[in-house]
Order: sequence, then structure tokens, then C-alpha cells
Amino acid sequence: MTILLPTLLILLASPLTVGLVRKFKALFQNRRGASIFQPYWALLSLLRKDMTITRYSSWVFHTVPFVVLGSTIALAALVPAVPIAGTYGNVFLIAGVLALGSVFLVLGGMDTASTFGNMGSSREMSLIALVEPPLFIVFASLALFAGSFGMGDIIAHFTSATAGSHVLTAVTLIALFFVVLAENARYPVDNPATHLELTMVHEAMMLEYSGPYLALLEYASAIKLTVLGTLFVSLLLPSFAASGTVLALLFLGKLILAAFLVAFVESTIVKMRFYRMQEYMALAFLFALGGAALIILSKLSGAV
Amino acid sequence: MKNVPTSSFATESKRLVDQGAPLVFLYATDEREALGVFGVHAVFSSGGEFTTLRTEVPQADPVYPSLTPTIMAAHWYERLIFDQFGIRAEGHPDWRRLVHHENIPAGTHPLRKDFAWDTRLPKAHEPYPMHRVEGKGMYEIPVGPIHAGIIEPGHFRFNVRGERIVTLEGKLFFKHKGVEKLVEGKSPQEAFPFIERVSGDMVVGHTLAFAEAVEKVCGASVPARAKALRVIWCELERVSAHVFDIGNMGGMGTGFTFLAAQGFRMVEEMRRMYEDLVGHRFLRGAIVLGGAHNIEKVGTDFILATLARVEREMRAVLSVAYESDGLMERFETTGVLSREAAIAYGARGLPARASGVDFDLRRDHPYAAYRDYAPTVLMKKAGDVRARFSLRAAELFESIRIVREALAALPAGPAATELTYKGGESLGWAESWRGGVIDFVRLDKDGRIERCAISDPSFCNWPLFGEIGPGNIVPDFPLCNKSLNLSYSGTDL
Repeated sequence: MTILLPTLLILLASPLTVGLVRKFKALFQNRRGASIFQPYWALLSLLRKDMTITRYSSWVFHTVPFVVLGSTIALAALVPAVPIAGTYGNVFLIAGVLALGSVFLVLGGMDTASTFGNMGSSREMSLIALVEPPLFIVFASLALFAGSFGMGDIIAHFTSATAGSHVLTAVTLIALFFVVLAENARYPVDNPATHLELTMVHEAMMLEYSGPYLALLEYASAIKLTVLGTLFVSLLLPSFAASGTVLALLFLGKLILAAFLVAFVESTIVKMRFYRMQEYMALAFLFALGGAALIILSKLSGAV
Repeated sequence: MKNVPTSSFATESKRLVDQGAPLVFLYATDEREALGVFGVHAVFSSGGEFTTLRTEVPQADPVYPSLTPTIMAAHWYERLIFDQFGIRAEGHPDWRRLVHHENIPAGTHPLRKDFAWDTRLPKAHEPYPMHRVEGKGMYEIPVGPIHAGIIEPGHFRFNVRGERIVTLEGKLFFKHKGVEKLVEGKSPQEAFPFIERVSGDMVVGHTLAFAEAVEKVCGASVPARAKALRVIWCELERVSAHVFDIGNMGGMGTGFTFLAAQGFRMVEEMRRMYEDLVGHRFLRGAIVLGGAHNIEKVGTDFILATLARVEREMRAVLSVAYESDGLMERFETTGVLSREAAIAYGARGLPARASGVDFDLRRDHPYAAYRDYAPTVLMKKAGDVRARFSLRAAELFESIRIVREALAALPAGPAATELTYKGGESLGWAESWRGGVIDFVRLDKDGRIERCAISDPSFCNWPLFGEIGPGNIVPDFPLCNKSLNLSYSGTDL
């Protein structure tokens, strides 16, 4: 039960995150925007539609939506809305699950041999190779800081740590923010709202999917954004609440804050040129390394 | 008009271009009934005047030596003329069809007089080979004509190595409407709605060029008030188009959503104003034969108030845009068009001026009341997306200035005059917001259109992508595309 309910909470709330991001973006542009519940209706209507699948696709094409959604549900179970103390939710397992979803999405993009799918897949592979080093270093730094590989322990450690030690992790959190934006195909790496097929990365891989399969993939993206977004907010503003209902409300607060952060970034900056991506990732890597160095040094000197 | 023998057509043309008179238009006429020949006409812009060279090619063997080997600007025109009339340009370096698709049978030349406009053609499979680059690591990307967003149809073929564009070729002409054929035999008044629909977002540019041509044929003198009104409508169209483009380049091209949201809102306000003033959101009816839509006192106040707001808000929005390093970084060095290429291809309008080509029909060939309201012709040197962006912003404020000036000194009197149709032929032109439109109109003795040839700026500027694209990366192409914002419909009459 301790895992089931918090996981369900994430699964239920994730379309809301997408709706909130869009709503905040609309407000930033002086528009009214659609209802924050619109993504739920969009997913439901996609589920009722027929699918158009090219006859040049293989079983891979049909497997991908399930593997991608499965991996993000696993992600939600590993990082539930209410942290579970102990070594549960091993950080390297989380990184592995993230990679699994990405790799299968890449395969799905390539399976139909369409131009845009292949283009998106080739871009995504370049990005994965660049985003993984900072991701691993960030996770390793957090584990070192908390003295445990469990995500639950890490969050608990953040909750109880002194103000001084939070300063130490600030650099690591900056790197984590960079990674979260890249993993979720948001600005400045990718533009989730574009209709320009030549500029797409994540959307290009999904271009051949329609109907229920598209719904599964869209839903998977929403879960991933919710999990990683709220994880970032949890570490940024560690909560002190204890009881179940309060934690659930707290989760909603985190979700709104995560959506606001993403919308703020996407309303104030532009998408980067694709060939400057390595600079962005290098910066993330640099922050990750700097954060790791700070934590290692403080450990060695016994400050934490 | 100067008649030259076919043999010296190319050399005479080259001589004019070498003297600094660029080729601006090339069109053909079917004169087999009267003279037993086809006419091929090359129009050059020489010091405030248009010079036309005419050559006659025999109907039995319609061939003339191609201008393209020495005058690059002729390359699409000559292919167009072959598709339309079957007149062959001997020695053209890229002799493929242009406006005809694979399904049009060879030997179909719809602008010949003996071709009925409603002929049903059998479905053919003529080859249309696109340029291909072979080699290790080369990858070919076909895009369109159906796109992920709701935009006009156009096919683009990229040859890339990684993300880097090696060659880029467009295949457009999916929007053939048959305008030039359909207006034949109609009176200019009957033809007018067709001209308004050549390209939906540059109604004033096209109708003004056509009206000027018809009025010159008829020897009509357009009232002074109408001339000033034409300047106002033309500049208003430029303002709203530039506001749209600034929003579209910044917003859709780079994802800087703030620019798009603000720009599109202002354009919408202006379009609603057009609807209130003229009865059409895209200004159909603003220009009429013999005059223009009148603006009363109330309208003047409405326009001035709207322009004041747009000017104030655009200045605020643009200052945010120029301060965004990310946006400027995307714009700078992207999609560079060199001055040499702009001149060689005969680029028109703003893209040419953003590459340092000092040419504007409003100043160099004044029409309507532009002699009194001459614009300061603004230019940029860099020729990249940034240059086109900031030139749009600068032209926008210049246009607002002209509208204010013209509204303040609007002459009294009628806003239109009646035309009495006569036979004859003439050129008419206008600098639309996209660039120069040049029309050739020939009326028969009953005042019916015998031939109407339209030269649209998009037709001249589309081939520029072969120059602008290579060297950029594929994800930057949409931004280059938006920085030119060419019409597919205007290209394909």
C-alpha cells in the first residue's frame, strides 16, 4: 500500500502537470489558455480514435508504446509521491529505467523508416549520450550526500539536513534542473509545442503514432515530466510534513511549482540551436562535477 | 519597346544588364493569329524607366537562345514560359518543367490561345528528377507538400550530411489556379476578383499593380485623392504584414512565445480595423479600378489611434526581443544571402534590401502618390535572419510615418474615377510588402483582357533558398523560411 497509493497519485495527476504548464504559458503570453484538465480529455479522445499504421512497420512499432509507458510507470513507482524511507528506489535503477524508455522510443522512431522519425531518433541518440553523464554524476552526488542509494533516503536526508549542508547541494541541483529539462524534451533542448517537423526531436519520433498508441506515449511523457519535476521540487524545497493527506496536498503543491518553473523557462528563453546542445550539456556536466566535488570535499573534511 | 531579332536577343539583354539595368520580368505572348509568331519580352529596370526588349519567335519552331547562361534571374521565367507556351530557350542549363507536375502530359501548353481552359487532361507520369547528392554519409530528406502544421503546400528536398544542409531544392506549384488563363477574355472589372486572390495576404500589392496597368492602357487619370489613398492602403498592408512576420519569426521560428503572442494580437486588431473600414480583413476592396476605397474623418481617427497603439507596443515588444541574447543568437549568421546572389537571382523586396541591394519601386519607379510620399529606402548589409528581422521592424515604422503624412494631407475630391476601356498594352507595378509586383496587361479593342502576365515577388525569391539553405543545419531551415515568408499561391498563378 505504501507504494501503490502514492504511485497511483502520480499516475492520476500527471496529465494535470501538462495542463498546468500550458495554462501558465498561456498566462505568461496574456492569453486565457485552455482548461488545466484539457490533457485528460485529449488523452480520452485519442483512446477512442482509430490508428493509421504504415504497413512498413514491424512488431517493434507496436511494442514501443507499451515499453515506454511501462518504464515511466516503473519510474513513478520508484519515485512515488510520498517518499519511502530505506534503500528503495535505487538511483541507478532510476537512471536505467529512464534509458530504457528513451531507447525504445528511438527504436519506434526508426521502425517505420520515415524521414522524420529517423531524424528525431538520430537527434535523440546524440542527446541521450550527452545527458547521461551529468545525470549519473548528479545521482551519485546525491547518494553520497545522503549516504544511501535509495531515492527515499535521499529525500529524507534533504528533509533533515541542516541549512548549511543544503548550500552544498545547490550546484548539484542546478545540474539536475538542466537534466530534467533535457530528459523531458523541454526548452532549450526541444520545443514540445512546435508544428515544424524539421526542428522536432521528441515529437518527431512520435510522428507516426496515432490514436491509442499516441495516447500511451503522450501519457508516458506526462508521467515522466511529473516524476522528474516533483523530484526536483522535493529536493529544492524539502518538505517537513508527515501525515498522508498533508503529503498528498504537498505533492499537488510541488506539481504546481514544477509546472510553473517549466512554463517560466519556456516563456523567457528561446530554443537553442541544435548544434549548441553540447554546450548546454557541457554546462550541465560542469555543474554536476562541481556539485560532486563540493560534496566529496565536505565529506572528507567531515563538514556534513 | 524595342524589337530585336531572336539571334541577338540574349546578347542585347546581356548588354543592358551589364549597363546596370537588371532583368525584372520575362513574359511571352501568343500572337499566332495576328502575326504568326510568339512574342518573348524581357523587361529591364534602367534608371527610373522600364525598358522592354521584344523578340518574335516563329510558331513552327518556337526557339530562342536562352538568357539564363548569362542572366541568372531568367532561369525560372524561361522554364515557366516553356510550360505555358512551349517556347524553348536553347542552352538553358536546367531544362526541367517548372509549374507542370508529373501528371501533366508533355506538350501541354495552357496559355496558348488554342488551349481551352476547361480541357481535361489525361494523367501522365512525366519524370521530374530532383537534384541528388551521392556519397558516404549523405542523407536525403523529403519534406512536404503535406506538413505537420496547417501551412501552404510545398515540397523541399534536402541533401544533408548529419544535420548540415548540403543542397536544398524546392518543388512548389501545388496551388495552380489558372489566373492568367482565366482572366483572358474578361473585362478588367470581371478579372479584378481573380487578381485579389492571387495571394491572399498581399491583396493591395497585386490589385494596385493590375489597376495601374489597366488605367495606363485606358489613359485614365486617377484623382489625386485616390492616389494618396492607394499609398495609405499599401503602407497599412505593409505594417500589418511586418508585424505578423516579426511575431512569426520570433515566435514560431525560435519558440520565443512572447513575440508571437503579442505580434499576432496586434495583427488581429489591425485586421478587425480593415474589416470595419473596407469590409474585408485582408483588404479586398481597398483598391478598385480607377481609384481606392475612401477614408472618411472617422476612419482617419480610427487608423491613427490604432497605429499609435501598434507603434508604441511594437517598440516595447521589439526592445524585449533585441535584449534576448538567445533570440539574437538564433538570428545572427543564420540563412545568409549574399549581395551578389541577391542581384544575380533578381531577388525582390525586403530580402534583397536586407542584403544591401538598394532598390525599391516606390522610390525608383514612383507610382500612385509615391512621388510626394517617397519612403526612405532602408537597407541592411549582413543578409542574415537578423538583418531581415530588424529591417522589417525599421520598415514598419517608416510605413507608419508615411500613412500619417498621407492622412494629414489627404487631397479633397473623388476617391475614384470611371474607366473607359480601350485597346492597348502597358506595364503596371507596385512595391508590395513582399517586394515588387509587375503586371503586363494587354486589352483588345473591346477592352477585354487579351493577355495578363503577373510577376510576383515570391516567384523571384523562392529560388534563393538554394543559396540560403546550404551550410545551415536542418532545424534552422524553418527560421530561414519564416524570415522570407514567401507565398506559395502567389508563385503559382
